[in-house]
Amino acid sequence: MGMLDYTARVEIDASAEENGLALMVGGLILQNLQEHPSKRDDFARLRGRVAIVAEDAGVAMTLAFQGNMVTVSDGIVGVPAVTVRARSEDIVQLSLLELIPRVGLPNPLGAATREIFLKSQAGHVRVYGALLHIPTVLRLSRLLSVN
Amino acid sequence: MSHLFPSDAWASAYQNAVNQNPLYKSAGKDWTHGKVALVVKADPSIDIEQDMAVLLDVNAGSCNAASYQTGEQARADAAFAVEGPYDNWKQLIVENLDPIKALMQGRFKLTKGHLPTLIRYVESSKQLLASAQNVATEFRR
Repeated sequence: MGMLDYTARVEIDASAEENGLALMVGGLILQNLQEHPSKRDDFARLRGRVAIVAEDAGVAMTLAFQGNMVTVSDGIVGVPAVTVRARSEDIVQLSLLELIPRVGLPNPLGAATREIFLKSQAGHVRVYGALLHIPTVLRLSRLLSVN
Repeated sequence: MSHLFPSDAWASAYQNAVNQNPLYKSAGKDWTHGKVALVVKADPSIDIEQDMAVLLDVNAGSCNAASYQTGEQARADAAFAVEGPYDNWKQLIVENLDPIKALMQGRFKLTKGHLPTLIRYVESSKQLLASAQNVATEFRR
C-alpha cells in the first residue's frame, strides 16, 4: 500500500484489495504513521496477529505485525493473538479513542472512550485475548487512534 | 416531481435536502475540510458513459452548492471522493444503507481524502448521505 520516509511498511495483501475494512485500517495506520511520529515506536514494537471482525458487515481482516511492517489480509489468517469483534460503527469509534497526553493510555474521561467501555461491558465490542496481550492492545489502540 | 439520478436537477434537489436536514446541520457544523465528490462509476448500459459525480460544496453544516459533473473534474475539485457503482448508490439512497458498513464491505471506496478526518466526522458523513433519501429520485434502472 505504501512506503514511508523511514523504514516502515504497510502492505495490503492481494487477498484484501476488495476488503474495505482492510483498506480502511491499512490506510489509517499509514496516515497515522506519516502524521504522528510518536506512533512509530508502538508500530515498531508490535508483533503477532490481530484480527478485526465487523460483524454487521460480514467482513474480517488480519493484521500481521512484524516490527516496522504490517501485512493486512482478508479474513482471519492464522491464529490471532487478539481478535476484535464489533459492529462497523464501533470499529470506527475505536479509532476515536481519546488518549491521555504523554501517558498514551485511553482517557476514561473522553466521550468515545467511555462509550466504547460501555459497549464493551454490554458485549457489543469484544476483544478476545486482551488480558493475555495487554501491551499489544494498548499499542494497537494508540496506533489506530486519530487523536 | 422526481429527478433522474444522477443529473443536474438531482444535484440541485440534493443540495436543498442537505440544507433541510437539521441533523446534518448539527453534525457537520465543524466541517471545514473541503468539497466532497460522490462518484458514480461509468455504466454504459444506463447511458453513463464515463464516471460522473455530484460535487458538494459543504462547509460548516451547509451545502453551498451541488453540481453534476464528470468524475474526473469532480475528483480534481474535491478534497474527498467516494466512488461506487450505480446500483450501490441506488441502494444507499433507497434503503439508507449505512455508509460506513458499505465502505467496509468494499461497496464504496474512498479514493481521495484524509481518512482520519473523515473518521472524525463520521456522523456528519452519514447525515450528508442520509439526506439523499429525502430527494424524490427516479432511477435509470
